[in-house]
Amino acid sequence: MDLSTFLQQLVNGASLGSMYALIAIGYTMVYGVLRLINFAHGDIMMVGAFLTYFAVSFKFPFEAAVALAIFGSIVVGILTDKIAYKPLRNAPKISLLITAIGISFFLENLFNVLFGGVPRAFSAPEYLSKVMHFNGIYMPVTVVIIPIMTVIILASLLWILYRTKYGMAIRALAFDIPTVKLMGINADSIISIVFALGSALAAIGGIFYAVSYPSIDPLMGIIVGLKAFAAAVLGGIGSVTGAVLGGFILGFTEIFVVALFPELGGYKDAFAFFFLILVLLFRPTGIMGEDLERSRF
Amino acid sequence: MRKAFSFVAAAALMSAIATAKEVKIGVVLPLTGPIAAFGQTSKGGLDIAYEQNHKLKNGDDVKLVVLDDRGDKVEAATAVKRLIDKDGVAVILGEVASSNSMAMAPVAERAHTPMITHASTNPRVTKGKKYVTRACFIDPFQGSVMAKYALENGMKKAVVVTDAKQDYSVGLSKAFKKAYRAGGGKILKTVLINSGDKDFNAQVSAIKATSPDIIAFTGYYPEAALMVKQARSMGIDTPFIGADGVGFPELVEIGGKASEGFMYTDHFNETAANSPEAKAYVEAFHKKYSKAADSMGALAADAYGMILSAMNQCIDEGKASDDKECINDKLRHTKEYSGVTGVITIDKNGNAVKSAVVNEVKKGDFVYKTTVNP
Repeated sequence: MDLSTFLQQLVNGASLGSMYALIAIGYTMVYGVLRLINFAHGDIMMVGAFLTYFAVSFKFPFEAAVALAIFGSIVVGILTDKIAYKPLRNAPKISLLITAIGISFFLENLFNVLFGGVPRAFSAPEYLSKVMHFNGIYMPVTVVIIPIMTVIILASLLWILYRTKYGMAIRALAFDIPTVKLMGINADSIISIVFALGSALAAIGGIFYAVSYPSIDPLMGIIVGLKAFAAAVLGGIGSVTGAVLGGFILGFTEIFVVALFPELGGYKDAFAFFFLILVLLFRPTGIMGEDLERSRF
Repeated sequence: MRKAFSFVAAAALMSAIATAKEVKIGVVLPLTGPIAAFGQTSKGGLDIAYEQNHKLKNGDDVKLVVLDDRGDKVEAATAVKRLIDKDGVAVILGEVASSNSMAMAPVAERAHTPMITHASTNPRVTKGKKYVTRACFIDPFQGSVMAKYALENGMKKAVVVTDAKQDYSVGLSKAFKKAYRAGGGKILKTVLINSGDKDFNAQVSAIKATSPDIIAFTGYYPEAALMVKQARSMGIDTPFIGADGVGFPELVEIGGKASEGFMYTDHFNETAANSPEAKAYVEAFHKKYSKAADSMGALAADAYGMILSAMNQCIDEGKASDDKECINDKLRHTKEYSGVTGVITIDKNGNAVKSAVVNEVKKGDFVYKTTVNP
């Protein structure tokens, strides 16, 4: 592999990794608070991408469409919480997990029935789909924009969690829900805020995913959701910075398996997940994860 | 429980005697999921053929029971089982993806139920099967058409892109390489992808380093559209050649300008179709959908027509229209059935021997280039 191909592959890895990182943050945040692996996260992503698609096809400007889609996804996220998760607050965690899988199937099939399963072409504005070109290395602008977005989101998330009253309530909730209730905090509305934040993150992830890979269908969230989940676990689930790290590691692993061993390229997912297992064998809580019961965020 | 079952069975039997007879054809297609365009286009053609004719010679009504397998092989096999056990269908029509048909075939075979796939081209779909037939050509032929076309156009160095998850793609790549090498071409590299992947930048970068004359893409359209787009945005202008898995409007919609010049082999192109059957079908298609007739729909219409013809032959011999053994026998011995996609004769392995067309994407349309006979 010559230098320019190697550099190109580095860019490719950063591009894919930042995508996974962006999506993994949402996974990890909901888990950090509720100890719920929200399997519907990938499907909220899909909802976000579809709402943007529809808003654009109704002649909304792209930015307005994104805002609408994020708002719509927040509504979907809060509704799911109120309808499906709220009645299970005191139920065993496993019931919640199964419900999350149910919601995931429900959203996938609902969109399948309503809009059909044929992939649609997602059209992004020119400035997001441009490709820059230096010395034979091609770099889509999203490679720059997505990490910047990820950092902005990470910073604002940390600001909300550590500098606002709601953030304090969220962190308190992560430790002990009954005690938080005794302090006179409305735990249900705080949990709704968590879902709203998680859904907004998923929608942003979904929209950027659709910008980078402009083909959307109702089942698009399954594989990428699984990968982002693996990234979150790799980085240490519950840790926001760990999710970012995990996303990049997963992205680079996938790209470099194909780049270095092209004849094994068909098994790149197997390599990515093998790597995940390897890390978990030595660090069962993931790279950044600490004691599961003590650490929150 | 057993009592309940026999009661249901008896009721079903009585209603069968009392009312006009209905013969069911079970249809398994990927109507949703990543390869939904395969299922949707097939269903479109099937609907036209059904509207044109759904009565048998003796007055029996044909009914379609359509199930969606979401493009998943496990679901496809389950659907066949359900169609046979619960719906009591006489014949199975489907699937498109070879991997899915290969999951369905053993289920149909075990239940001694005839199955016809309209569009699965991998040789292993029918290999060693007594009850499986197909209405299309097979990949050793299709691969040689791809190779020949590339070589005739002066493209002597190829990179092959194989979808490791699809039996179709693995088989087609093998056939292409064999024919390409035999014709004096050189295979520079094989890169592997997985259906469902969206990021092909690593593969594209690897291809770029080898500078081939042509990229032989043997997978399906969702990956083709994204891969050609990513290749073009990385400054690669090498032409792509694919096969019958890529010629769908989504290639152009998702691939956009990048899909221009994408060549592929296919079963049917309406501008080259001139038999009366094809003309009638194309006319009905334009009237119903007001767009160009696609090859999957045409193949599905032919598979349906072959089933009806087999049933009518059984009726001629004084057998029931849903006699599975008889239908299978007639399907396997189909001779010069003149359908939409050409004249179909089934060989001893259950495969159709037919000509292929080569198309190319030009200004967003699928433009007919040539016809290649076996």
